[in-house]
Amino acid sequence: MNEALRARLGWIVGAVLAVGLAVVLIVTGEENALVIGVTQGSAYGMVALGLVLVYKSSGVFNFAQGEFGTVALFVLYLLDFETNYWLAMAGALAVAAVMGFLTERIVIRPLFEAPRVILLVATAGVALLAIGVQIWFGDAQGKPIDKAFDRVDRITVLGVQVTDQQLALIVVLVALAALLALFFTKSNLGLAIIGASQEPTATELVGISVKRLSSFIWVIAAVLGGLAAVIAVPNLGSFGPGIMTSQFLIPAFTAAVLGGMTSLPGAFVGGVLIGIVQSVATSAPVFQDIPGTKSTLVVFIVLLVVLLIRPQGLLGKPAR
Amino acid sequence: MTAVASSATDSGRTRGARFRPSALGWLPRLAVWAAIGYVVLYLPLGRPPTDVQRFTEGVAYAIVALSLNVMLGYVGQISLGHQAFVGVGAFTSAYIVTEQGQSFWLGVLVAAAVGGFQALVLGGVSLRIRGLYFALITLSYGLVAEQNIFQIQELTGGGAGQAAPKPDWFDTEWRYYYLALGFLALVLYIDWRMMRSKSGRALLAVRENPRVASTFGINVRAATLFAFVVSGVFAGIAGAIKAHSDTQVSVDVWNFNLALVFVIMTVVGGLRSRWGLVIGGGFFALLPYFIEKIPGLEDVLADIPLVPRVLTPEIAPLVIGPLLLLVNLIKFPGGIGQQIRPITRWLSGHRFDIHDKGPKEVQITDVRA
Repeated sequence: MNEALRARLGWIVGAVLAVGLAVVLIVTGEENALVIGVTQGSAYGMVALGLVLVYKSSGVFNFAQGEFGTVALFVLYLLDFETNYWLAMAGALAVAAVMGFLTERIVIRPLFEAPRVILLVATAGVALLAIGVQIWFGDAQGKPIDKAFDRVDRITVLGVQVTDQQLALIVVLVALAALLALFFTKSNLGLAIIGASQEPTATELVGISVKRLSSFIWVIAAVLGGLAAVIAVPNLGSFGPGIMTSQFLIPAFTAAVLGGMTSLPGAFVGGVLIGIVQSVATSAPVFQDIPGTKSTLVVFIVLLVVLLIRPQGLLGKPAR
Repeated sequence: MTAVASSATDSGRTRGARFRPSALGWLPRLAVWAAIGYVVLYLPLGRPPTDVQRFTEGVAYAIVALSLNVMLGYVGQISLGHQAFVGVGAFTSAYIVTEQGQSFWLGVLVAAAVGGFQALVLGGVSLRIRGLYFALITLSYGLVAEQNIFQIQELTGGGAGQAAPKPDWFDTEWRYYYLALGFLALVLYIDWRMMRSKSGRALLAVRENPRVASTFGINVRAATLFAFVVSGVFAGIAGAIKAHSDTQVSVDVWNFNLALVFVIMTVVGGLRSRWGLVIGGGFFALLPYFIEKIPGLEDVLADIPLVPRVLTPEIAPLVIGPLLLLVNLIKFPGGIGQQIRPITRWLSGHRFDIHDKGPKEVQITDVRA
């Protein structure tokens, strides 16, 4: 096998898996499940982008990533009563950004030298705090949430109507992935972040503040989490405290791991793949006898299998 | 005499012979022991049954904290799905007693065995994966337990939950409380003996540095798996105790929030400090109780400025717990265990040394990824 092919093997495997599963869904007449899978997967991909960013810069698994989103949702829900939907969404994202900034300042920075497991516990603590405050300020009940786009019949794919809200999710994700890819390869700031993640000491030596970069990354990650929530969750119709952690975080982590944990395109591909896999699991007759939510079990199995047979994921580099 | 001399040098102190309190020195120590015994053993007798039930829950949480400590404290691997192990223990015991008509004792035994077996299977498959990724696996497993395993009607009795009657002779809340304390003592004893053994020291070596440990002939994977199984057994026992205390196991309490509360109480309690862990577990289980009982505190929490709603005792642990955790991690990494160490050392017949922060290794920040 030549080098060029080998370098793209991850992409090829990922694409073949995605297309193969999509074909299975189409052949079995589950086009609707496919559309839901792809849109849901896009949301996972967006959360996973934030996870990968933070992992690249701080080397920590950010368990608070989901809650940046849920907090944004609550703000959107509250502001929507007061003002225009778009202003409310801007406010929601601003609150998510502030939360990301504060998390980095108050929790991550003092623990900069601590082992990664401690940072993980700390971010999990932030997540629980956010959930606790949500239950405290609101209540544990589900709340209805409006969509940004109401039209449902603009586009039809394979005989299934794709709502504008679903379309927005996919468009935003693709745009973000492209933007981030450009940012990390072309802009000085992006290159500095890559440098800081690979050689923090050397980066400091050339006069770049690694700490300031870390704050910046956390803000970006929080905004990504917020965006994922405010665009994806209205598709579900309602939300409750901790929804992003209980329903999106683990699939997003699985997507990030599948993509290689350090690869932004990998997070994107992994997210869509996980979304499709979940759709297959919920619609395939083989899984009918499994009690409860089938998608949870499938995500667990995918995570386990990926970590056991290919821990570097599809697009990651094997550890040296 | 040589034995005494060598033990003095072993303890690393240069104060000559090992310190022994005089008869007069034992007196205040015994008084404090008696006070602790009074609070733990005698005080509950005068409380109404609903209160005693919560004390029993505190004992169950203390066992959970000890269980998580085996993973997080001794081998430095974090389990974020421990609510699954405790929950499976609770349902197993309830199932054995209610559906199979067997005795409570068999129920606890099977719950412990199932807890250990679960850990053996999950760990056997996934402990090749260490550190952060293992945390991810356990978290995912916790969700699977919540959304798949606990949806099995035969095991959990569906939406109403599974009944779990108290055993004969222990059918009052007070008697059952003492039974739970007995189980806590058993778990503490096992934990203590384990850490005094060669395999216990092997666990600590694995946490310090897996590579060095394996050069010394320790099978790192087997040691970690062993710790996970012990942790699973403890969690199963804790689940069974909680089940028969509540006499009804419902499906919807075993969620991610609970797993995080478990981790938080373990870390706040203080890793590798049995006293701290028991206090941490008890404190978090009884936090709602304290808020209700301490005069005025509930009103204070109800009137926090700028907050539209009351901070009820039920959700207080979810808010106060993480705040305590963050303060703890940033300022007092050793947890409660490290803060009270001068007192616990004094109680066990050593000098009172306010600056005693324990061996340097008793730092949560030593847990390796």
